[in-house]
This record gives sequence, C-alpha cells and structure tokens, in this order.
Amino acid sequence: MLKAAPDALDGPIVRSPGYWATVWRRFRRDPVAVGALAMIAIIVLMAILAPWIAPQDPYKGMTLRRLRPPGTDGFPLGTDELGRDMLSRLIYGARLSLFMGVTPVFLALFIGGAIGIAAGYVGGWVNSILMRTMDVFFAFPSVLLAIALSGAMGAGIVNGLISLTVVFIPPIARVAESVTTGVRTLDYVDAARASGGGAISIIRHHVLGNVLGPIFVYAMSLIAVSMILASGLSFLGLGVKPPDPEWGLMLNTLRTALYTQPILCALPGIMIFVTSISFNLLTDGLRSAMDIKA
Amino acid sequence: MSTATLATETGQPPAAAMAPPALLEVRDLVKHFPMKSGLFGKAKAVVRAVDGVSFDVKAGETLGIVGESGCGKSTTARVIMHLIKPDSGSVRLAGRSPGAGGLTMKAFRSQVQMVFQDSYASLNPRMTVEDSIAYGPAVHGINGSDAVRRARRLLDRVGLDPLRFAGRYPHELSGGQRQRVNIARALALEPRILILDEAVSALDKSVEAQVLNLLLDLKDDIGLTYIFISHDLEVVRFIASRVMVMYLGRVAEIGPTEQLYGGGRHPYTQALLGSMLSMDPDRRTETAPLAGDPPNPINPPPGCRFHTRCRFAEAVCAASVPPLFVRGGDHAVACHMAAPGSGHSQAGAIS
Amino acid sequence: MPLYIAKRILYTLPIMLGVAGVCFMLVHLAPGDPLVSILPPDASESLKQQMMALYGFDRPYVEQFLRWLGRAISGDLGTSIRTNRPVVAEVSKAVGNTLILAALATTIGFVFGTLFGFIAGYFRDTWVDKTASAISVIGVSVPHYWLGMVLVIVFASYLNWLPPTGAGPGGSDAWQWNWAHVRHMILPAVTMSVIPMGIIARTVRALVAEILSHEFIAGLRAKGLSSRGVLRHVIKNAAPTSMAVMGIQLGYLLGGSILIETVFNWPGTGLLLNDAIFQRDLPLLQGTILVLACFFVLLNLVVDVVQTALDPRIARS
Repeated sequence: MLKAAPDALDGPIVRSPGYWATVWRRFRRDPVAVGALAMIAIIVLMAILAPWIAPQDPYKGMTLRRLRPPGTDGFPLGTDELGRDMLSRLIYGARLSLFMGVTPVFLALFIGGAIGIAAGYVGGWVNSILMRTMDVFFAFPSVLLAIALSGAMGAGIVNGLISLTVVFIPPIARVAESVTTGVRTLDYVDAARASGGGAISIIRHHVLGNVLGPIFVYAMSLIAVSMILASGLSFLGLGVKPPDPEWGLMLNTLRTALYTQPILCALPGIMIFVTSISFNLLTDGLRSAMDIKA
Repeated sequence: MSTATLATETGQPPAAAMAPPALLEVRDLVKHFPMKSGLFGKAKAVVRAVDGVSFDVKAGETLGIVGESGCGKSTTARVIMHLIKPDSGSVRLAGRSPGAGGLTMKAFRSQVQMVFQDSYASLNPRMTVEDSIAYGPAVHGINGSDAVRRARRLLDRVGLDPLRFAGRYPHELSGGQRQRVNIARALALEPRILILDEAVSALDKSVEAQVLNLLLDLKDDIGLTYIFISHDLEVVRFIASRVMVMYLGRVAEIGPTEQLYGGGRHPYTQALLGSMLSMDPDRRTETAPLAGDPPNPINPPPGCRFHTRCRFAEAVCAASVPPLFVRGGDHAVACHMAAPGSGHSQAGAIS
Repeated sequence: MPLYIAKRILYTLPIMLGVAGVCFMLVHLAPGDPLVSILPPDASESLKQQMMALYGFDRPYVEQFLRWLGRAISGDLGTSIRTNRPVVAEVSKAVGNTLILAALATTIGFVFGTLFGFIAGYFRDTWVDKTASAISVIGVSVPHYWLGMVLVIVFASYLNWLPPTGAGPGGSDAWQWNWAHVRHMILPAVTMSVIPMGIIARTVRALVAEILSHEFIAGLRAKGLSSRGVLRHVIKNAAPTSMAVMGIQLGYLLGGSILIETVFNWPGTGLLLNDAIFQRDLPLLQGTILVLACFFVLLNLVVDVVQTALDPRIARS
C-alpha cells in the first residue's frame, strides 16, 4: 500500500528549523537584545583579556598618587585611595564581579533545577517535602539571607559564592517545579508512558526539552540581581576582600573620596549598572524571542 | 456497596457463548478520585469516576462507548491503558493481566495503544514528527534508523508524504494532519487494540470524515480492534459494531449497534439515543426526553444511578443496584425492569 | 474563604519554625567558637567552660534550639554582647526607623511605578511605552547603594540641598516629624524606592497590557463604554496583583535595607545588622534576623489574604 517507492523513504526530507534555531532567528531581529548581547560580550572579553589590555598592575599603588582625577597623565581614569590605576582595576574588576555574579546563578540552576524537576515529575509527598523546604528559605528576603549567611560564615569569595547560591536555589527550584508539573500533565507525556517509556527516558526526551527553556530564561533574569547582590556583599565588607579588585569592593573603599573626587566613586557603579542592565535587556529579548505562538 | 457484575441470571458472561474468547476482558473496574479539602488535604469527597465497569472486547470488532460528559468514558480508557492505576478490578489481554502471568507492562503497552482527543497536546512540540513516532519503537529496543524508517513508512500509510512531513514540528501541521500523526504513532508499536478517545471530536466535519475513513481502512488492512469513545452519536453509529452506554461511572447497556439505536432497552439509552435530532420533518421532537440535570459523580444517587431522572423509577431502584442482565446473545442491560424477579413492577417486561 | 485563611495561617507556623531553625543555625555556621567575641584569647580554660555553661553552648544543638526558641517566643532574644542591652530593645528601636523609611520608599515606588507601568501598558508599543519601560529597566538594574552614593554626591555635596547621612539633629532618639528631621529621609527613601518602582512598573505594564487585550474589553467598548469606564475596569482588575507586589516589595525593603542604611548611616535594622556582623555580636545578629524574617513571613501572609479577598478566584485554585 505504499505510495512512495521504498528507497525513497531514506531520501532527504524537508527539515524544519528546530526550536532554538527559530528563537535565535527572532532574537537576531531585536536590536536592543543584540546590543545587550554585544555589550556583555565586550565585558566578558575585557575580563578574559585583562592581563593584556590593562595598562598597569591593579595591585600596585603609590601613596603619593592617591585619588588623582581622571585625565591625569598615565592614569586615564585616575587613581584610587591607595594610588592604584583606576582603569586597570576596573578592567580586572570585571573578572571577579562577573564571576561572583554569574557563578552562583549557574550553580543554583543545576541544583535548583534538579530539585524542581524531580519534585515536579515525581509529585506526591516527595514534592511536598522538597517544596516546603524551599519555602522556608523563600521566607527570607534575598538580601537578608545572603548577608546573614555571609555574615555568619565570614568574608571571602567562597563563602560569598555559597551564600548567593543558597539564595538562588529556592526561586529556581520553584519555577522548575511549576513548569515540570505543567508539562507532566500534558497528553504527550501520557502518550510517551503509553508507548512504554520509563521515567528516565521520558524526562530525558520529553520533559527536559520543554522545561529547560523557561527555567534557563528565569535563571538569566537573576544574573543582574546576583551581580548587584554580590557587589553589595563586597561593598559591606563580606564577599571579596581587599586588595582584590571587584567593583562593589571598590565602591566601598572609595567612599572616603566621596567629597574630594566624587567621579572616582561613580565609576565602579557605572560598570555594575551597565553589566546589570545588559543582562536584563538580554533576558527580556530572549523571553520575547522564545514566546513563539504556534 | 455492590458493584455491577456481569450477569448471573444466565450463569455465564455474555461473550462466553460465542466461540473466540474476548481479546480484552475488563472486570469490575473501579477508580475513585479523592477531592482534597480540609486542613491537611484529607479527602472529604470522592469523585466516583469509574464505579464497577465490566465488558469484553472481541477481536476485530469496533466497540463504541458513549455517554454524557462526566460518565467516566475517558477515565475508563486511561485505566485500561494503565496510565491511571485502578483502585480495584482487572484488565486482561488474551487472558493475561499486565504485570502478572508472563505479560509485562511494557509488552501490554505495545499491544494496546491510544489516540487522544487533543491532537496538539498529544505531540511533543520540540520533537519532529518522525521522532515522535519513532520514540515508542526505540524504547522497545528497535535501533534508531530502523525506527525512523518505520516511522516514515507509517506516515505514508496514514496519508502524509514522509518526505514533506517527517522533519516537521507539530505546530506546522493542521489538526487533521496531527491526528494522522497520532494514529501513526499509535500504530508504531504494531498493537492489536487501538483506543480512540474522542479522537475525531475536535476536527472539522470534512476532516473528520477523512480520518474516519482512514481508520476504517487501517482496521481492514491490519486487522485491528477498536474501542471508539465519543459523544457524537451519529459517528459511533457509523463506525461501531457494538455500543456500550455509560452513565455516571457504570455501564447502563451494551449490545449490537442497531439494536441499541433501534430502541435500546435501558431508559437512559432510549433518552440518549432518542435525543438525537432527526432531519425528517415528520419526526419532530416535541419534548426533551431527559429531565433534570445530570447529577455529579461526587455524590451519586444510591442504587441505580439513573433513578432520579427515570420515568419508570420505583422504590427498588433507589434501594439496590441493578445487575447487568443479559437479554440474549450480546445484549446486556443494567435495569431492574430487565431482570425478572428484581422487585420492579415491570420486571421482565423488557427482556 | 475563612477556611482558606485558617489554612493559610496554619501553614505559616511550620514555616516560621523552619525560619527560626535557620536563624539558629546561622550562628553555628560561624567559624570559630561562639565565645570568641566575649572572651579575650588568653582566657583560662575553666573560664571558658564557665562561660560555655552560662550561655548554654555546651548542650546538644536541639536543646539549645528549643531553649532559645522558648525564650524568643516569650520576648527574650538575649543580650547584645556589645552594648549589654537586651536585643529586643535594640531591635524594636531600629525596626521603627527602618519601617518609616521602607514605607515611604514603597509609597514613592508604588506611585511612580504604577504611573509608569500604566501608561506603558495603555500605550503599548508606542514611544511612550518604550520610554516608560526604559525607566523601569533602569530602576531594576541600577545598584541602589551606588545610586545612593551618586545622589549624595549630587544633592549633598554639589548642591548642598539635603543632608548626606544620619537621621537628623539629635540622632534617632530625638525624632520628630518636622522638616529638620524629615529632610534626612528624602535621599535614602528615594534611593530605596528605585528598585520597587522598576518592579512595580514592569508588573503593572504586563497586567494592563494583558487585561486590555482580553476580548471582553472590545465587547465592552462595542457596548459603548467610555474610555473612563474601561479605565476603571482595568484598575479594578489590576489592583489585587499590584497591591500584592507592593506588599512584597515592602517586605524586601524591610529585609534588605542594610545596604542603603549603610550608605546613609540611617539607624535602622540594616545598620544594626551591619554592626552585629562586624563585631560578631551573635545574639544581636540572631535576634535581628529572626525579627526581620518573621516580619517578612507575616507580611506575605497578610498580602496573600488580602489578595484572596480582592480576587476570590485564587482561593478556588
């Protein structure tokens, strides 16, 4: 009863572009989103290439050269309170600031995502226990929790990372659970079960593909918050410790210059602001691009 | 609380008189859904979706299942498929229950497949058509390229050109095309029984006709057995050889199509099938055949579920559950008026 | 509905217990032994033992937790190691200050956020929308403590219009509602309002756009409902969620005020927290966090209940 010749079945078929290819195509057409992506790429490059593009050593300072304004000879953006070159510290600062901002979110994405997807798929009392535990941490405002954890554990990069990761796990877990539960009740999951698929196979082939998108976008939207929180921790003296260059820490140490060279105080904040708004605009653009109405 | 049992009056289950044993035997299926309320989520009320359903499906036939919304048709289908675990009761395929007696759940699943109502929700939006169809065979151990080849052959079989459709995504297809894909997917495991749960209800009439014809062709070619669930009485009449009428989680009547449509014995069947509007101006429907609202399955009436809306209801109807009485051959009715000696004033009158 | 409220309240109790547990556990996350801030490093072993017994640090954790919890419920949160005053006294004084600031900030944020969000959603996809949306994105992206510093530079340093820090002449103990004091509130409140403003603006915009796109709006217009009528309808539908968001933002400000208060030296719970951390004043740290977290949980409860009262659909879901 075949209408086509048997070997035609192995021939080339029309392949539609996949989901992410379509998302990328739509994303490309949004100038704001592309601009944000470019900005982030520049900042990341700056961080990676820091040793080669920074004019000076960010740790070397001379007390004679303290708090020089931007435009001083050899120090295009001035010097900080210990005489170190601002430009170099800003460039190097990108490394730690980006690291402290992005890493907790990615760790939380893995851990929180796993918890949420498991809770959503299995359901029942497992779901209840996991989600209620998340709720307890959710009961703290994020800033408070981050500061409480860092404050208790003490300053330092590792402690800061841990506390920020803990702060972001509950919201990501919640989103993951909610999306997974939504997908799990759909007919195609039932159809996959009816075809004999086991839990692992179904999660891998049917659930993940449909669930990772929204979870990932949500996590991205947290990066801006994470950067502000991370730099906030350093600002308070938790998180990154001097003399490491990090934008939030720089804001703290430069407060003494508030009345003498106010521009110097503004600079690290501008960097945080630009990075943060770029991530926000990127996430907005990604969300619009992913909102494909069939 | 007694559940409806297959007839004891004649002493044998209805199909046993015929030679080939039933392909699918469903006995006393019960599924209740607790409704969570109260302080700690304790079940305060129970939705008695399926409350003692028994029937046989013979090899090669098409059994239609009809009834109003909420009567438990879809739940019965999902329980048969073991997508929902039954509270009690058994389902046997060629005499064996899945999970016992040498029939694994996986093997059972490869022999009984289902096509759902919502053609869009039944397909993974991130999987191409051929991948969706090939998933089942792949899970059962068929290697990748063979599974894909089988998928493409099936696409061709259901009337979709594989070269054009195999690499597409569900949102690019029309409703009718998606349902064809769903049928192809269901056939991928070479099942013996196909359950069609309102499979054509959401399609435009012309498309519906095409898909129905496809189903009939496939049935003849491959030798399938269908369970066709629908609320569209005309379609069921067209496609089914036997029909089962359900009401509030129980079987009201089951028998050959023309016998039921010609004038079923259960008052509900008469009301339901009698409520089909006719195009013949000489047969006008003056009064609505059914009075009252369908009660909800949370607090069903005691005894015979239908007695609150039945013209012939008597005391015995509220007191005890009517058993499924075999009138003869394939036809069985669950009504006190059917079984002689049931206590109803017209007992035996309709047998 | 009352059942829903009762359920919700009952549900809060285990959460509070969990919160208390986390607060308690925080202290034991700290490296080093808990007495390090009380005793000089060369204290004798027997003195250390005595102090441990006095504070109860030598008992098993569960017992310590229950004792601490019992005292906390009866209003005793211990004594601040630094100032030797009861923690409850320190915290209640500070909470009032933070509350005033947070309330003002939330109000500003709500007013402007709703304004921007509304016009953005109403005039969707026009330049008005783009401008208003841009302002909201900026609001959410700016590191608020940095903004505070910038505002101080501009308004206090250059222009000399407003004072840079503190809570007014005489400190927080002598607070009065006069201009001399209130002018100290303006910069910190405005700074704090920026993030809530951004979030509320984005939420309101989405809400308004969504409501307007409903088909029944077209139906209402077809029936001759004036623009003002549609407006009223939109407000009625958007109100529950936006109030809920405002309530939650207030909670976040209460809990997260530490950064702003540090910049402006505002004597609220944030500053208290800061001091407690750096002086390792563990009872004060524990007590402050517990109070703030409980505030947040209760606030969430109130917001939930009010939102359900305004929008009965939620209770049914």
